[in-house]
Amino acid sequence: MATEWKLFADLAERAGEKRVTVEAAAGDTVGDALEELLADRSDLEDRVLDEEGDLRSQINVLRNGTNVLIEEEGLETELEDGDELALFPPVSGG
Amino acid sequence: MHVLGIIDRGVDGDAVERVVDRVVDRLSRTGRVGVVRYDATIADGTPVQTRDDGGSVALGGDVTYDLGADGDWTATGTGLTVQDALDRLAVDCDYAVVVGVSELRYPSIAIGPEAAEADGDDSQLAVIDAPADLETAFPTPDQGDADDGLVAALEATEPYETLGSLVERVKRSPKAERSGAIATFTGRVRAKDAEDDARTEYLKFEKYEGVADERMATIERELEDRDGVLEVELYHRTGVVEDGEDIVFVVVLAGHREEAFRTVEDGINRLKDEVPLFKKEVTVEDEFWVHDRP
Repeated sequence: MATEWKLFADLAERAGEKRVTVEAAAGDTVGDALEELLADRSDLEDRVLDEEGDLRSQINVLRNGTNVLIEEEGLETELEDGDELALFPPVSGG
Repeated sequence: MHVLGIIDRGVDGDAVERVVDRVVDRLSRTGRVGVVRYDATIADGTPVQTRDDGGSVALGGDVTYDLGADGDWTATGTGLTVQDALDRLAVDCDYAVVVGVSELRYPSIAIGPEAAEADGDDSQLAVIDAPADLETAFPTPDQGDADDGLVAALEATEPYETLGSLVERVKRSPKAERSGAIATFTGRVRAKDAEDDARTEYLKFEKYEGVADERMATIERELEDRDGVLEVELYHRTGVVEDGEDIVFVVVLAGHREEAFRTVEDGINRLKDEVPLFKKEVTVEDEFWVHDRP
């Protein structure tokens, strides 16, 4: 079963779309899904990864509403069936 | 309160009024309904009331309330916009029906042959050709069955809230008898941060649907767990919010002022830190995502 990414703010603008479906599925990791998302999207990749290819500190990655970088195993977090992933910059409500 | 526009897209006769009648009738079974009618022929500054004998009488004052038995009333006045009328209704109505306004940013039902092509936006709850089609779009529930599809569709849309409507809600809390304080915070669109700033025209907020609401509910719940804090309401608008308009409200009902003030401050700080909302600022010169310009 495929996995869906939701993109927000300037990340969605750089990707040219707000939703992207990738083939990474249960058993793969969040990092696999991210790699697939960034594969043909260099504009988005430059925004999300630093020169070393690591995730920039201000970028948030959520899996089903939970921040994988804080509450789970980061990009090593394993996917489950039907996961919804989200990628966004610092929040700026109010 | 939830707002529903009824929009005329080229229907004849009293079709719009018949839809309004049916909609108001159905919404009234679930809650208190306000109706706002825009009619450009009401004009020239002097409120005029038609008497029973067909004559008319000019009323004194910029706002006139005529009160009757049991709190029934009629009113006339000057200087009220559709927005102002909605703000007033939001305090004690569950639903507002707006008639006679062709461009609305609220959920709406469009009636008539021009409806489908004229509107492609997602705020449209239904497009119908004639009053009878309302029944097809949202079947009337059987007697005793509470689930009205029209009510459900409207309830699923973003509510209309004002500082006043949130304050009234916390005052109606069953815990209100232990409350000696209400503290509120209102965040609004600042046109300029300094004298020579390029003027901000509007902000546009994007929200992570579902997750944002969950996080706000969590913040409310955690703040309500504090000693002396009775009710907490957070509300944040999305979409376009123009210069001078309100964006966000925090309302706290508490036993005493100290915890009310503290909680209001923590509430807005946590909302700004934790809730996935994204702000794009459009000034007279430029447009940019606010997180890119710390």
